[in-house]
Amino acid sequence: MAKDPEQGQGEDQPTGDDRLMSRALRERLGRYPASPRLRAALVQSLEPETARPRWNASWLTPAISALATAVLMLFWLAGGLPTAVPGDALRDLTRAVVTEHARTLSWTDAQPDVVAATLPRVMDESGVTLNILFTGDSDIRLVNAHPTYVEGHRGLSLAYVDARGHGVTYVIFPGAALVSLPEHERVKIETWRPVVRKEGGFSLIMWKQQGLFCVLVADLVSDDDLARLKQYFVKVRSATDLYQRF
Amino acid sequence: MSDEEFRRQALTHLDALHNLAVYLTRNGSEAEDLVQETYVRAMRFSHRFQPGTHLRAWLFQILRNTFLTFYRLREREPALSEDGIPAGGAMFHDAPDQDGASTEVLTDLDRALSRLPEEFKTPLLLAEVEGLPLDEVAQIMDCPVGTVKSRIFRAKERLRDYLKDYGQDFNRS
Repeated sequence: MAKDPEQGQGEDQPTGDDRLMSRALRERLGRYPASPRLRAALVQSLEPETARPRWNASWLTPAISALATAVLMLFWLAGGLPTAVPGDALRDLTRAVVTEHARTLSWTDAQPDVVAATLPRVMDESGVTLNILFTGDSDIRLVNAHPTYVEGHRGLSLAYVDARGHGVTYVIFPGAALVSLPEHERVKIETWRPVVRKEGGFSLIMWKQQGLFCVLVADLVSDDDLARLKQYFVKVRSATDLYQRF
Repeated sequence: MSDEEFRRQALTHLDALHNLAVYLTRNGSEAEDLVQETYVRAMRFSHRFQPGTHLRAWLFQILRNTFLTFYRLREREPALSEDGIPAGGAMFHDAPDQDGASTEVLTDLDRALSRLPEEFKTPLLLAEVEGLPLDEVAQIMDCPVGTVKSRIFRAKERLRDYLKDYGQDFNRS
């Protein structure tokens, strides 16, 4: 039972009204426990941090010695250590998605006629269910779909081609709990605030949706091209209804 | 405390954290995002947690700070919901169905509560709904216990006023 928060305060002595209000808050206010999906996503995403095998002390000492020797040699050879870049989970995901995009461009044929037939199997394989899917319009059209594997997560990759022949890949996988989207990189696009990044000649628009991590990637980097990619984002974001099945 | 033990204990507070997140964000999708962000940060900074202190209060503190740092920015721009749902527009759309008799009062309470400023709403929910002791609430709110008492008192006063607008009179016992 909640401790009376006003206990002991002269002007705040609990009254019948206060007790009535306290009881109403405790008993009548709706409670919103976490969904099983959120719980499962958290358990899954937090596990890798703790499931790593512990170091065996028997080889730890020689390993550290070897490392120290290597560092000394680096000092001797280069006069200093190179600048270390701190770990960035989002950057790792970004690079993985760019690789996936390159793979899609290289190996995926444009077969819009068979997408509808293959999509159920792709969803089964990926664990991502698409209730509604943007299949295209006069600017951009869906040409292929296949299951993929990004940073250890099964997901789904949708290949689009725009009217100018640029490949646009829409990658969806259950990594929403793994990373946070930096506030300072968010960009307002209509009613959404995804993160927009450029990486190795590609532009990426990243957002979270229904516990899933979604990325739209294309080689559209100039201001005009990026504006077009943002238009594509609005199309796929507003016309795609998805959820994570497992 | 081992990482595994920390993770296990932290996850026991998931429902309570999610409940507060829903009332703060007023949006089911953003609440989930806020909770996920809270756990990501908690695990990242788990080495800063002092065993023997209140893990629950520490997690609530992270959640609140995360909300204030990121999610409150969106309140200045109502159209900026990440999931495309206008802030407040989809309030409690994931709420479980209530029986007919209590639905009206529950809705009025929810609605009245949503009108409270965060600095009143959070201590009220933590103390009255979650049953946290005042010293833990003070830790979460980063203010003295006296301030927490005062805010809860004023929160109840405001709630009573708001509920009058909906025909609910909590002045009569």
